[in-house]
Amino acid sequence: MSFELTTLFGLGSVYLIALFGIAFITEKGWIPKKIVRHPAIYILSLGVFASVWAYYTSVGNAMRDGYGYLAHSIGISLAFLFSPLLLHPLLSLTRTYQLSSLSDLLAFRYRSPWAGTITTIVTLVGVIPLLALQIRAVSDTVGILAPDASQHALAISFCTMITLFAIFFGANHPGKSRHDGLVMAIAFESVVKLLALLSVGIFAIYAGFGSLGGMNEWLAGRPDLLEGLQNTAYLSSFHVTALLFFTAAVAMPHMFYMTFNEINSPRTLTLASWGLPLYFLLLSLPILPILWAGLKTGSTVQVEYYPVVIGMEYESEFFTLFAYLGGLSAASGLIIVITLALSNMCLNHLILPIYQPSANQDIYKWLQWSSRILITALIWAGFLFYLIPEDRSTMQLIGTLAFTSCLQFLPGIMAILYWPKGNKKGFFAGLSIGVFIWFFFLMLPIALDTDPTYLSNLNWKQIASFSLIANTILFFSVSLLTTTTDEERSSADLCALDSIKRRKRTGLVAKSSTEFIRSLGKPLGIRTATREVNRALADLGFNEKERRPYAMRSLRGRLEANLSGLMGPSIARELIDSYLPYRQVSEHGSTDLNMVENRIESYPSNLSGMAADLDKLRRYHRQILLDLPLGVCSLGMDSEITTWNGALEKLTGLSNAEAIGSQLIELPEPWGSLLNNFFLDDTNNSYKQTFELGNQRKTVNLHKSLIDRPGDQSGRHEGVVILLEDISETALLEAGLTHSERLASIGRLAAGVAHEIGNPITGIACLAQTIRDEFQDTELKGMAQQIIEQTDRTSKILQSLVSFAHAGSNKNSANNEVISIADCIEEAKTLILLDNKNKDLVLEVQCSTDLHILGDSQLLIQVLINLINNARDASQATGKIQISAEERGNKVRVSVSDEGIGIPVAIRDRVFDPFFTTKEAGEGTGLGLSLVFSIVEDFGGDIDIISPVNKVRDSGTQVILRFPCYHSKPDQIAKAGATGQ
Amino acid sequence: MVIIYLLFLVSVDWINQSSVHWYRPFGIGFLIIVIAAWTHRERDTDEL
Repeated sequence: MSFELTTLFGLGSVYLIALFGIAFITEKGWIPKKIVRHPAIYILSLGVFASVWAYYTSVGNAMRDGYGYLAHSIGISLAFLFSPLLLHPLLSLTRTYQLSSLSDLLAFRYRSPWAGTITTIVTLVGVIPLLALQIRAVSDTVGILAPDASQHALAISFCTMITLFAIFFGANHPGKSRHDGLVMAIAFESVVKLLALLSVGIFAIYAGFGSLGGMNEWLAGRPDLLEGLQNTAYLSSFHVTALLFFTAAVAMPHMFYMTFNEINSPRTLTLASWGLPLYFLLLSLPILPILWAGLKTGSTVQVEYYPVVIGMEYESEFFTLFAYLGGLSAASGLIIVITLALSNMCLNHLILPIYQPSANQDIYKWLQWSSRILITALIWAGFLFYLIPEDRSTMQLIGTLAFTSCLQFLPGIMAILYWPKGNKKGFFAGLSIGVFIWFFFLMLPIALDTDPTYLSNLNWKQIASFSLIANTILFFSVSLLTTTTDEERSSADLCALDSIKRRKRTGLVAKSSTEFIRSLGKPLGIRTATREVNRALADLGFNEKERRPYAMRSLRGRLEANLSGLMGPSIARELIDSYLPYRQVSEHGSTDLNMVENRIESYPSNLSGMAADLDKLRRYHRQILLDLPLGVCSLGMDSEITTWNGALEKLTGLSNAEAIGSQLIELPEPWGSLLNNFFLDDTNNSYKQTFELGNQRKTVNLHKSLIDRPGDQSGRHEGVVILLEDISETALLEAGLTHSERLASIGRLAAGVAHEIGNPITGIACLAQTIRDEFQDTELKGMAQQIIEQTDRTSKILQSLVSFAHAGSNKNSANNEVISIADCIEEAKTLILLDNKNKDLVLEVQCSTDLHILGDSQLLIQVLINLINNARDASQATGKIQISAEERGNKVRVSVSDEGIGIPVAIRDRVFDPFFTTKEAGEGTGLGLSLVFSIVEDFGGDIDIISPVNKVRDSGTQVILRFPCYHSKPDQIAKAGATGQ
Repeated sequence: MVIIYLLFLVSVDWINQSSVHWYRPFGIGFLIIVIAAWTHRERDTDEL
């Protein structure tokens, strides 16, 4: 059976056009996102690793090594089964720092652009043979299916189609994190090759042996084949091969690209950790039946191509062509992804370090076209390698050559996560010796030696093992014997599994996003810089007005990560360091605790064991700090706020998110100057700092203390903690008490003076009476009478002063007598009118004389005086105040009304609060109404305020007091008066 | 993870034992994958 070249070409073209179609409709969004982003699609796209090695070479390997052919699947499966130890941590690193290739990762870890460049060159040299292998497999199968056809012509067509696909769907958006069209197409290819191999396997069983039982019977007659399966010298070859493919899961560019760049979420990788091994298991299953069926036919075709041969031998065009399509998909998938990944590596680590586009150019376009040119160059470099005469090397040897090159990166990769002491000198030394051995003992013989016998006998496993051992020993030795730079140590800290980011907190020269754009505009152009800064701001959820140092540092980090995805970490770091530098500071900045805190907080709280206990303890201590009823704010030595607790949020109105990361001086007034002055002050305590906040006067005590660095004996400090104690209410209370005490002193003085004056006044009055009564002179009598009247008036005043001074001084000793409301009103009126400033006041009294209540008359007088004074203060100088009293039910209702400005709604609920006053400082104590409230309550009464009284003019206040009425029967009054004490 | 690794070692040894059941390695492989899927089922990838 044979086919026309046109048939094979047409079939291949239809298949590749179908690939175009799938990628196109995915990019257009015609396939629902939930399908495109489904974990199964990602897992299938990882099937790109199953290249012609898995599809064709496995059959040859099974023939030579028995179960040893499974080492390929087991190696890759182990990498995924143990993903929490290797792939997950690497995924976290690549996502955080936007590292898109192994070169990026190694350049980032070893802080050397050369690490990226050398990695790229070694990968390039190692991978080109693998590309050639794919082309050769396609070409060979065409040679088998159409012996008369020109294999090279089809290989050229194949390379052209693949180049177009990779250009259109892989390099269309520079910096784009995911290529959905590409992923979908690669997933489709994985399905095709799996179905092809499985169906050919089943066909082989039934066409070759009739049934599974038939195959077992046939095997029973061929014990050499079964014994051959156990022929695996697994300690020497099986484990080396498995290790080779274990490393390839990370080190081969196409696997790195698909695993880390096209992934949706870490959860998808968790599913892939068993999904991909399952895929490879299914792919390995039909290999043995295909091999045995092929052997049974006695075909002379190379064993590797049995998947295609089976259909031909058993006269099935469908299975022949299906197997051919499977091989085509295996080859094309790998070429597309590997050239895409390699083009990025070459661009970032070979081209950009030498030449960078100017700021006037459109960087995105430049990157896109550079990437396209590189993809084309790589595919055709693979084609040139394919043109090397085929008898020079076997497929197995070419594949081995490629995979052995990536083995040299294993020590460097493992050190990223597990050996922070590894440095770039060690990495270069180890890589150099490993690559040297690989190049001179594997690559050169394959490329130059014309004796295929020598190549067949070459023990590549020993060479691979020896190169890896030499590499590892040199890497460890040189790393231990040489010094590691601070930069490398910092990178190692970022990458090591047992550490979290410990970024130092230092201010930036650029202080706003506008300054960022201005600085980055110099190398990138304003348009690109604006786009990148806005993208980073959006990623972080910041607005463009953000100026906090913490936010600026985060923005710088995000920009570096984003530019790293675009241009590689070396160029990105160089750009960021040059154009967005840190301020020069004399002392190292403190640890960026906000970053550490945010990172810990971003993890779900499902830690286990000791980590969970530590986290609980940390949260508990932090909560204590946050809930402390004192304002707590901690700062770095550069006055950047690192802690801002709940009490401070409440007091200042500034939320935790607004304050943290700001400089003290940047806080709104009065807090900025208050806290910053205290921070700069030499004293550790500052008492009774007063300031105005809104319409309130605030008083605070401030305390501060230096925070020591744990375990640091050098005397340097981590920062400062400031405690802010709000004592506004206490200060008011103290002021009120002082004022009350002063009033009480004045009262006592007044009482003493009154007492002392009272005696001479009494003497004067007596003498005046004597003159009036003893002398007949009318004029003299009149003058004596006037003296008596004036002394009476003086006595009354003195008596009122004494009564007022004694009022409220001792509640328990207050009288419980029957008091006349009218008398009290009259006495209060007398006292009020004594004051000169009340001389124009109009007091209207409406009160019947028979209203009585039980209580202390002096206290009631004080109540009335306070209410009248308040009414006077609220009224005009000639304002009218009405005092009325009447009996309603069994209550006496006393009302004091004015026509003043009324009480504003906002303060109506607070007028009875002690020390609350709207009067100017020194004019009121704020105790008047609270005292009124207290006395009325003691009398068993209640109090109401109506304001405004005149709703139309919105003015006037009426205070209504209600007391239990005392029945005004003369005998009761007399009785009460007798027992009133 | 330890269980998976031990099973891997055991399975490689078993593969090398002479047996008439050529498909046994695939059965073991499938078993390992099932166990791995079960082991990974509740793993939070962000765990510290």
